[in-house]
Amino acid sequence: MTHDEQPPGHAVSPEGGGTADELSCEEAARNVFEYLDGELPPGYSERVHRHVEMCQRCYPYFNFERAFLDYVHDRGMRPARSAKLEERLKRLLDDLEGREP
Amino acid sequence: MSAKHREFESEALVHMDVLYGLALRFTGGDDAAAQDLVQDTLLKAYRAWDNFESGTNCRAWLTTILRNTFINDLRRRQSRPAPVGYDEVAERSVYPQLHEEDGEGGFFDRIVDDEVIRAIEELPEDFRVPLVLADLEGIGYKEISELLEIPVGTVKSRLFRARRRLQQRLYRYAVEMGYIR
Ligand SMILES: [Zn+2]
Repeated sequence: MTHDEQPPGHAVSPEGGGTADELSCEEAARNVFEYLDGELPPGYSERVHRHVEMCQRCYPYFNFERAFLDYVHDRGMRPARSAKLEERLKRLLDDLEGREP
Repeated sequence: MSAKHREFESEALVHMDVLYGLALRFTGGDDAAAQDLVQDTLLKAYRAWDNFESGTNCRAWLTTILRNTFINDLRRRQSRPAPVGYDEVAERSVYPQLHEEDGEGGFFDRIVDDEVIRAIEELPEDFRVPLVLADLEGIGYKEISELLEIPVGTVKSRLFRARRRLQQRLYRYAVEMGYIR
């Protein structure tokens, strides 16, 4: 996969000369969905978490993507109503009951 | 009316609207297919009703039946749809375009629900199904990979592309509607 995801306008490591353990913004952003989905290995997820928590660019970006996913879930699960279906299911149920011993 | 009938009505049939909504998302807004799917689901549930433990989560049980029914049917429809084109441009986050005026994602709240539902239902099936499983039902990558019989890497990339397409579409919609500049 070649997701060239990165927070806006930045592909550089956080300034301030991080340790070798620190992720770049680019690497953090590449993993945004896996991180938010809780699908990263625990150690690596922790590294992303540490970066995002401290990074002025990634923090709002990750919040944005999280809000997006929450939004898709909430709206996507909206029930739908159909009088036709209701009628059809009631009839089916009556039929079934008629056939019960 | 039998006790079973009454019980089924009050415990299972009350979830009809949730099931129908989910069925529409799965089938890409195909009303006839969605109705059939809900009917199949409830028929299976009715036949297995004696095995259902009253008081446990009936809605979860029903959505599992619906999901499995849909996926079995999907597998049976051997004919694979033409592979969907990958448009790299459409697959970037809309965040860079938005963060000046709305970094926290509040922009989504201004989009009417119908548009989101339409956007989900109009995704190509290969993208839509993983998205419904992951983002609506909250199922993990590994389980989706098993359900759809595709590698986890494919689940990831389809989910990624599905979400990006959705975002891009909602963004374009918001611009058209004048919600954002
Ligand atoms: Zn960063």
